[in-house]
Amino acid sequence: MELTKGLIAILLTAILTQNFVLSKFLGICPFLGVSKKLNTAVGMSAAVIFVMALATAVTYPINLFLESKELGYLQTIVFILVIAALVQLVEIILKKYIPALYSALGIYLPLITTNCAVLGVVILNVDNGYNFGQSMFNSVGAGLGFMLAMVMFAGVRERMESCDIPKFMRGLPITLVAASLVSVSFLGFTGIVEHIFG
Amino acid sequence: MAEKKSLFKEFSKGIVIENPVLRLVLGTCPTLATTTSVRSALGMGLAASIVLVCSNIVISALRKVIPSKVRIPAYIVVIASFVTIVQMLVKAFTPELDEQLGVFLPLIVVNCIILGRAEAFAGKNPVLASAVDGLGMGIGFTAALFLMGTVREVLGAGSFLGMSIPFLSQNPMLIFILPPGGFFVFGMLMACVNKLAESRGKPRAQLRGCDACPMAATCKLHNEAAPEQANGEEATA
Amino acid sequence: MKNGKAKAILGPTLALFLICLIATVLLALTNEATATKIEQNAADTAIASRAAVLSKVGDVDVASYGDDKTEENTGLVYNEGFDDAGNVIGYIVTSAAKGYGGDVKVMIGYDLDGTIVGFTVLDCSNETPGLGQNSKTPAFMERFLGKSGTLTVDKNSNDGQNIQAITAATITSKAVVKAVNEATLAVLNLTGGADNG
Repeated sequence: MELTKGLIAILLTAILTQNFVLSKFLGICPFLGVSKKLNTAVGMSAAVIFVMALATAVTYPINLFLESKELGYLQTIVFILVIAALVQLVEIILKKYIPALYSALGIYLPLITTNCAVLGVVILNVDNGYNFGQSMFNSVGAGLGFMLAMVMFAGVRERMESCDIPKFMRGLPITLVAASLVSVSFLGFTGIVEHIFG
Repeated sequence: MAEKKSLFKEFSKGIVIENPVLRLVLGTCPTLATTTSVRSALGMGLAASIVLVCSNIVISALRKVIPSKVRIPAYIVVIASFVTIVQMLVKAFTPELDEQLGVFLPLIVVNCIILGRAEAFAGKNPVLASAVDGLGMGIGFTAALFLMGTVREVLGAGSFLGMSIPFLSQNPMLIFILPPGGFFVFGMLMACVNKLAESRGKPRAQLRGCDACPMAATCKLHNEAAPEQANGEEATA
Repeated sequence: MKNGKAKAILGPTLALFLICLIATVLLALTNEATATKIEQNAADTAIASRAAVLSKVGDVDVASYGDDKTEENTGLVYNEGFDDAGNVIGYIVTSAAKGYGGDVKVMIGYDLDGTIVGFTVLDCSNETPGLGQNSKTPAFMERFLGKSGTLTVDKNSNDGQNIQAITAATITSKAVVKAVNEATLAVLNLTGGADNG
């Protein structure tokens, strides 16, 4: 029971209080770049969740091996190469065997290789000393948090399309200010996880 | 003489006209995350600049050796090596900075400025020009971070480089240090830069993350979205 | 034809492999050069923070510190502080509790009665800058000195068993106090004070 509680606390923390995009600033590029329409936002987020979970599952044993051989300093270089190779592999496999899923997620996959959120989550798992279960929950939570932020923000942006915005604020500036307001709403989750599981 | 002038051009373009953060809108993650204080902003800028210059030099030197098919993985390996070296040096000599930057130190690997410069410049130009290009871009990145860090620390904590400022330190506006403040300051800074650029007849900065992204060529999303995006910009302009 | 194809695959692979090899060697060399320095840093910080939390108990200087030991009931790591003659005159306990973004680590110095004589926050890097990270400021850390027994967080006062919370960072304050209470329990177990209370 205690164990499940701990895992759910990690999951909720990753989604709400420590949201990857809005409080940790990881994955800002796709957050600003691919959030213009709701359906692309959902597709991108789904691909991110998928790759995050997969990358965590693969890098966890690799990290154990590196640490047992005292090669911890190779962590960054090995992780980024593994993620890059993994994304390529997933793309090939999906294309061949699950074309339906490929047509839905495929176009987002190359973007994810250099997405700092994916590398960020596997490094944070190691830094926090999470075990395998905790790492998986943290990764899925981070991915879901990414999706939540993307979907919310896409909604905000679709509304903004029809607004009369002062000329100097148009484009990126107003997008960032809107992101700031969405981020304020996430501050409201402060303490919620601690109060539930305290 | 002409050569010297062009080298200076490579150097200065990164600082103002093609400032990676404020004009090209690259490296937004560290720009938002590490600017809660001037000190960590400068640390991040410096660390990224060192990696940028070193990787630009090595990639440029190896540009004829690296087969174009595997150039992206090769670039990533080179960049990741320099990041790890910088990480170890920071841990050894300025452990305090390591604590402040946390996960963003190893994440320099995926900073689009560095891979972007490797693909756009260092992979095609001689060593000296690449080094100068890296230095200019690095200084531009650091300057933008310094600006963000100054605004956020002065307003949010009432201090500058840890020295408290009278009046402001008694009434700090905490929100500027919190995540929303990061987005807000960046948005306002972009608005100012756009205004300035417009008054000089230069185009406004737009999110060109995709164009500069080294994955752009393989990325169908970019190729499909490109014409549509252009239309969208016209409509808002 | 076949030969050409093999070459087309082999060449890039070989080049990539060589680059990886050189990179690994370079990293191994840098690691060799910096590893001892990094370890030294960690050891230095540990010694410095020990001296900061327990340098003196009453009028007696602490002459040396014991090795890391684990208190059985709480599972916390502690060190004994010895005077010149080798008598235990105080304890240092390292404790942690979950704050806003992760574990907040604290180190506390106690005299033999279980009263806090020194206090420092070792790690609050996962807390919000400017809010929870203010737990590392002397103004907050001083609030623990001279306290003993179970402490509680209070928004306004620092009297008696109360610890005044950091403005707008109640969660971090609570985490710090929770960690301190656990450490106090460990010390009471060590001194046998728990039985009396």
